[in-house]
Amino acid sequence: MIKSLLQKVFWQGLLVGIINLTYGSLLFGEFPNIDAKERTLQYKGFHKKEILSTNISLHRNQKKIAIGTIVDSRGLLLTKASSSVGAKYGITASGEKFSVRIRRRDEDKDLALLQIIDSYRSWPSVQWSRENNRTTEGSWVISSDENLQHLHLSMLSGMVREVPREGGVMGVIFADDHNPNVSIIDVLPHSAGDRGGLQVGDTIISVDGRRISTGQMVHNLLRNKDPGDLMILKIRRRGVEFEKRITLGHRSVTFDLFNRNLLMSGSVSKRKDNFPKIIQHDAPLPSFAMGGGLFTPMGRCLGINIARVDRVTIYAIPFSEINPILEKWLKDFP
Amino acid sequence: MKAKYFLTLLLPFLLIAPVNSESKLLQDDKLLDLLSVESKIRSILPSIKSAVVSIESSDGAGSGVIVSEDGLVLTAAHVIGKRGEKMSVTLAEGGKQNAVSKGGSELSDAGMLQLEKNEPYPYVPLAKPGSSVPGQWCLALGHPNGFNKERGMVLRAGIILEKKDETLQTNCRLLGGDSGGPLFNLKGEVIGIHSRISKNSDENYHTTIESFLSNWNYFLSEEILRLKNLQSAGFLGVMCEQSKRGLRIVEVVPHSEADQMGLLADDELLRLDSIHLDTREKLTILISEKSPGEVVTLDFIRGSKEIAVQIKLGSRD
Repeated sequence: MIKSLLQKVFWQGLLVGIINLTYGSLLFGEFPNIDAKERTLQYKGFHKKEILSTNISLHRNQKKIAIGTIVDSRGLLLTKASSSVGAKYGITASGEKFSVRIRRRDEDKDLALLQIIDSYRSWPSVQWSRENNRTTEGSWVISSDENLQHLHLSMLSGMVREVPREGGVMGVIFADDHNPNVSIIDVLPHSAGDRGGLQVGDTIISVDGRRISTGQMVHNLLRNKDPGDLMILKIRRRGVEFEKRITLGHRSVTFDLFNRNLLMSGSVSKRKDNFPKIIQHDAPLPSFAMGGGLFTPMGRCLGINIARVDRVTIYAIPFSEINPILEKWLKDFP
Repeated sequence: MKAKYFLTLLLPFLLIAPVNSESKLLQDDKLLDLLSVESKIRSILPSIKSAVVSIESSDGAGSGVIVSEDGLVLTAAHVIGKRGEKMSVTLAEGGKQNAVSKGGSELSDAGMLQLEKNEPYPYVPLAKPGSSVPGQWCLALGHPNGFNKERGMVLRAGIILEKKDETLQTNCRLLGGDSGGPLFNLKGEVIGIHSRISKNSDENYHTTIESFLSNWNYFLSEEILRLKNLQSAGFLGVMCEQSKRGLRIVEVVPHSEADQMGLLADDELLRLDSIHLDTREKLTILISEKSPGEVVTLDFIRGSKEIAVQIKLGSRD
């Protein structure tokens, strides 16, 4: 009698388990994949340690600037080139500190190859995922947080696509683009021009040493620059000529109709455009967690997180794009 | 005793089991759970995506979801702005259509829109009232930053964190342009409509589908309920929260008509003029349609007794 009752309870338990699995609604206990404090989705599965051990936090002047992903047992790591400029050392998930040096750089995909300076160790490197069905919309993906302590769980979405170049902007408006007198009639608040000290009424005489005759010339020069690039302007203000150094801004940040969206997003990557091919997901990562690997729930690496775009968007470069460069880099490496 | 045997029998088996990646996978229930959720999401994705639309209004862009074959769209009140506005809607596969805004409510941020062209539209079902609860998986779809053909619509998976009155809170991160877009359960039913966010990544708020269901005809046929219009309407003087049978009074405003008629905190309101009170918003709407001085009949429960009273509504001043 008791035995049959126990059996009944056992089977009901199993059924509840199946319902939980099917609908994922774990009403009868804690959810397995949510962090109580942050209340974000976290991966706490079998491969957590393994994934974290292949990520290194990169620093410059005691500041985290990017994550590196170990791709070779010689201590070679891939990261986001434009974020990791000047990286001096890396810290592992277990807290060990090592010097790093840049070895290779690819502007096109914004990737860099760094080496950990420690010749007596065989480093755990990522295993790449070559399955195409793991890069389709609706696939779970995993990224390490900036402290290499937790793994964020997020979902791939949107189309696999090219992200075209945005070009750099100053955020100033000229009186007339074709008039020989290139004078500024408006400076957008918080734009690159505003921060660089340009004012309404300033006349632009030269840009990077080239004499300017029309506003159109300035636009043409800007088109070949990226956000973050420096432009040296010679201007005339109330009869006095002097130089202004302007660090160009993003078109989307400067002119964005959805500026409120950026306020809600926090820090975004400086370079977030001009990628030949990206996949997109929504992990809540800061801009200095770029360069980290993007993993499947089975612990295989799908690609490298390359840009934090806004509150809901992280771009990653898929392995198919990384492979040709990486193969060449690793083959050439002594 | 039996349980112990069970363990000792099982343990040697586990120890000698070959440690290859496949057996590891099978022991990892969290992974199994994740993968089953993923396959569920992948299976419903094509059909739920087909009903999600992008909405252009005069001062921005939002999202919406088609819920009937003749093209009724659920969205947010702050996306439509006001009733009778002409709006442009981009369907999931890219075609543009004209639509006219219906009503809604500033209280819950529920809004409705009707596609004008007479043709069968792809649509999704609505979840039953009360079926979504904290802890369940959910899916947010929409057009963050507006419609983008190269990108397509954006999917986010998460979990319901809280549910209170007109609002669901989830960790599906939203952004401007998502407003009015649908929140789904894993059966592919609409459980909410994206409404607002604050800076933290877990602070994403959605209007519940219950708000729509409770006031469906009002939203379809009346002007948008405006908070400022409540000022001149009748006033009862109770603050409530949703309860099992109706609305539980949290606080009675001192010297209000409700106070003078002897209503108390913890009384459970059932009906107003024989209309069942299933949401706070319904009570607000019913009262908003009355003027100060009008008399309403209120049925409520105190302890185990059901009581009916007639109350003359007051005013807010």
